[in-house]
Amino acid sequence: MRLLICIKQVPDSTTRVKVAPDGTSIVTDGITWSISPYDEYAIELALEQKDNAADTVVSVISVGGPRTKDALRQALAMGCDDATLVTGEGADTLGPLGIANALKSAIDELKPDLVLCGKQASDDDQGFVGPALAEALGWPHVAVVTKVAPSAAGTEIWKEVEGGHEVWKASGAAVLTVQKSEKEPRYPSLPGIMKAKKKEIPERPVTGVEDPVTIEIVKLEPPPARGGGKIFKDGDVKAHAAALATLLRDEAKVL
Amino acid sequence: MIPPTEGSGALILAAVAVLGFGAFAYRAWKLYRYLRLGWNEDRRAHLGKRIRDELVIYLLQRKLLKRPYYIRGVAHAFIFWGFIVITMGTVDLLASGLFGLRMPGAESGFFVWAVDVFAALVLASIVLALVRRAFFKPARMHIALDGYIILGLIATLIVSLLAFENAGLAAGYLALHQATPPLADLLPLPYPAGVAGTVFAAAWWVHVVTVLGFAAYLPQSKHLHIVTTLPNVFFRSQRPRGALRFVDKIEEQKTFGAATLRDLSWKQHLDGYTCTECGRCSDNCPALATGKALDPQKIVLDLRDLLLKEGDALLKDSTATGTAPAHQFATKPDELWACTTCAACVEQCPVTIEHIDKIVDLRRYLTMQEAAAPPEAQRAMTNIERAGNPWGEAAGTRGDWAEGLGVPTFAQMPDAEYLYFVGCAASFDRRNQRVAKALAKILQAAGTSFAILATEETCTGDPARRMGNEYLWQLQAQQNIETFGRYKVRKIIASCPHCFNTIANEYPQLGGTYEVVHALQLVQDLIAEKKIVLGPGAAESVAYHDPCYLGRHNGIYEDPRAVLDAIEGVTRMEIEPYHRERGFCCGAGGGRMWMEEKVGQRVNHRRVEQILAAGDAKGERPTKVASGCPFCLIMLDEGVGAKGIADQLKPVDVLELVASRLADPAVLEVERATT
Repeated sequence: MRLLICIKQVPDSTTRVKVAPDGTSIVTDGITWSISPYDEYAIELALEQKDNAADTVVSVISVGGPRTKDALRQALAMGCDDATLVTGEGADTLGPLGIANALKSAIDELKPDLVLCGKQASDDDQGFVGPALAEALGWPHVAVVTKVAPSAAGTEIWKEVEGGHEVWKASGAAVLTVQKSEKEPRYPSLPGIMKAKKKEIPERPVTGVEDPVTIEIVKLEPPPARGGGKIFKDGDVKAHAAALATLLRDEAKVL
Repeated sequence: MIPPTEGSGALILAAVAVLGFGAFAYRAWKLYRYLRLGWNEDRRAHLGKRIRDELVIYLLQRKLLKRPYYIRGVAHAFIFWGFIVITMGTVDLLASGLFGLRMPGAESGFFVWAVDVFAALVLASIVLALVRRAFFKPARMHIALDGYIILGLIATLIVSLLAFENAGLAAGYLALHQATPPLADLLPLPYPAGVAGTVFAAAWWVHVVTVLGFAAYLPQSKHLHIVTTLPNVFFRSQRPRGALRFVDKIEEQKTFGAATLRDLSWKQHLDGYTCTECGRCSDNCPALATGKALDPQKIVLDLRDLLLKEGDALLKDSTATGTAPAHQFATKPDELWACTTCAACVEQCPVTIEHIDKIVDLRRYLTMQEAAAPPEAQRAMTNIERAGNPWGEAAGTRGDWAEGLGVPTFAQMPDAEYLYFVGCAASFDRRNQRVAKALAKILQAAGTSFAILATEETCTGDPARRMGNEYLWQLQAQQNIETFGRYKVRKIIASCPHCFNTIANEYPQLGGTYEVVHALQLVQDLIAEKKIVLGPGAAESVAYHDPCYLGRHNGIYEDPRAVLDAIEGVTRMEIEPYHRERGFCCGAGGGRMWMEEKVGQRVNHRRVEQILAAGDAKGERPTKVASGCPFCLIMLDEGVGAKGIADQLKPVDVLELVASRLADPAVLEVERATT
């Protein structure tokens, strides 16, 4: 079985993002870049298949500029077998449909049995590429997946639903978009890191990829600073409770 | 006295000697070959220190004479010194019995007297040891047949010695001008005529055969320590106690950490042979005391047992790997991850066994080779990689605590004398930010020239290294060393003992050598030099909790106490008996700060109980417990909260107490003059 995970490099969730002076982009200086968290869960899910069946091949692919290679190396360090970078001029600025098309042309060649993506990227939170890729490939798509297991007639897929999960079955190729699951993405072993450092990452040109929908960011602004809290000091506890109830009703409007 | 080996006696003695020493040599050779399966660690440097250690730790038995083991320590010292003297006597006996040669001085009054006196002391100590085993069994002690056999053999040696001396005297075997054994002389047993000679011969033979039997038995037993302690002390680690072993050229290693017995050094295996199974390490282990899987003695003995079991197979096939020590049992990883690296075991071990190094070598294997660290530990390491701190707080906010305080960064003040290395806890944890602010206030009051690195600072790597991630520690350390180099930093203040320890003791492994002080050392100097003046305040009783990485790892016991004592109105309370070198860990060291603690009692809860009990024993509970470590502060805060006594016992950092009393000397003088 060959699994392919499409990953995106995003500012790490520990990075404090700042809006650039142009008001439509972020300051990229000093940012730590990492694999989008849901994509990490997708990698973990795929590697678990490999843990259980050694003949499973796990590949990763990403679309982006040169620094995207770091994300691919991280995935290789975690235990993925090979990585492909779709790159070239304009790779950084492709819209989600463009990225789906770029991935499609690679997938046509790599011919995986299953494609996994995170359910959304942690930077723009659009959740667009996965379903768009399924559409482009003409494959079925299952969303919010937390578990995959091989079964007699294909693949069993656990899909999260309110208060539980549904088990779906795929008889052939499919695109799965992965949800956070209980099993945390693994920390790479040092032999893994060393091996990943030496591995070749083949590149595919992004030129000629169709990108029919362009998204223009009109404005970025940070959320309003949180206001200071209110502390009831000294005095009667009952009066505090009454004052709190009033505030919750009239000011916060939660009662 | 003439040995009873006339005629064929000498031949029989020679045969027994060959058997006894032969058995010893055969086993010893085997053990040596097993030991050499370990990698060839060079432990030859620091010859002077090694000789001093032999004198102090081996000959003077320094590490046996420790709280709370003074009586048994003295008893052991007598057995040990007695053994040395009596062994000389034994050499003389064998030499005279086999070849008719006498050891020089063997017939002197002094030597004969010494043999007898030590024989009596040994016998008394043996009785003490037997009574202790039989009736006052120490909780952690391994009581096995082995111990009784050894005590029995020693008792037989001494009793037969006194018996043949006594009978020899009665039979008139004392040579002319020969000194009389004083004690044997005091025991005049009424032998019928002619029997004394037979008793002399019988007791002499019993004595000599017991000696040879002892030699044969020795390397099969834990009593081998009488031989191995000598090299084990000599080759003990001369690294600072707080420094873990450096892995050079880590990127070129084939495997990481101790994957097999071959990946532990020969000295680690010698430790196993040397363990006396006394259980002092276990006695003092905070993890074991609170019901965790870890038992430091077991760590040492398991490795020894595995070596004895698989040694032959590993010797036979140089490609064989054997059982991975980190997976010797299914529960082994749990044992390894329970360690707080507090060094209570290392502190107490009378024969200088290095427990932490073994645990970390095995953790290195689990973490780096297998990527099998507990998930919370992996999260902490990922956070260090990505955010430069184990909590995963935004790296860009590292300097935010100092906003508005007038604390310069090195970029703003490149010629500052000191770098205040704030550390992750004081940078990001709200409680500990108050400690950083307190130190900044003190340094400003003293007019100390200092600056911080703010966002240019990153985690020292200490938690990663202690979780077994040597690689990540090296990356973090290199990054900090580069930054220090860029600003030509020479002097560093750390308020976190873990930062202090790794920068002071471990960064030199990567070429980063600085003058490093813990904040409390510096503050003690500032007080002594009257650079800061502390005003009066309310009377309060403050317990002092020794952080492991200040106390045991770095020997800083006095400075924090001196600072507390310099604060007017503060009465320092010692958390007896768990203070100073027996200080009990808060539970957060060794990377445990970021790992779940689900088994047994929480270590910090036990610590809070100890503080209360120490107060009760003195008739007054302290109202505060002061420490000098951000992790201790977090753990103690959690502890008093969980016990519902946060309003009775307030955890603080000593720095906060000092900062709250900072006074303007001029104003203080006026106040004092008017009252």
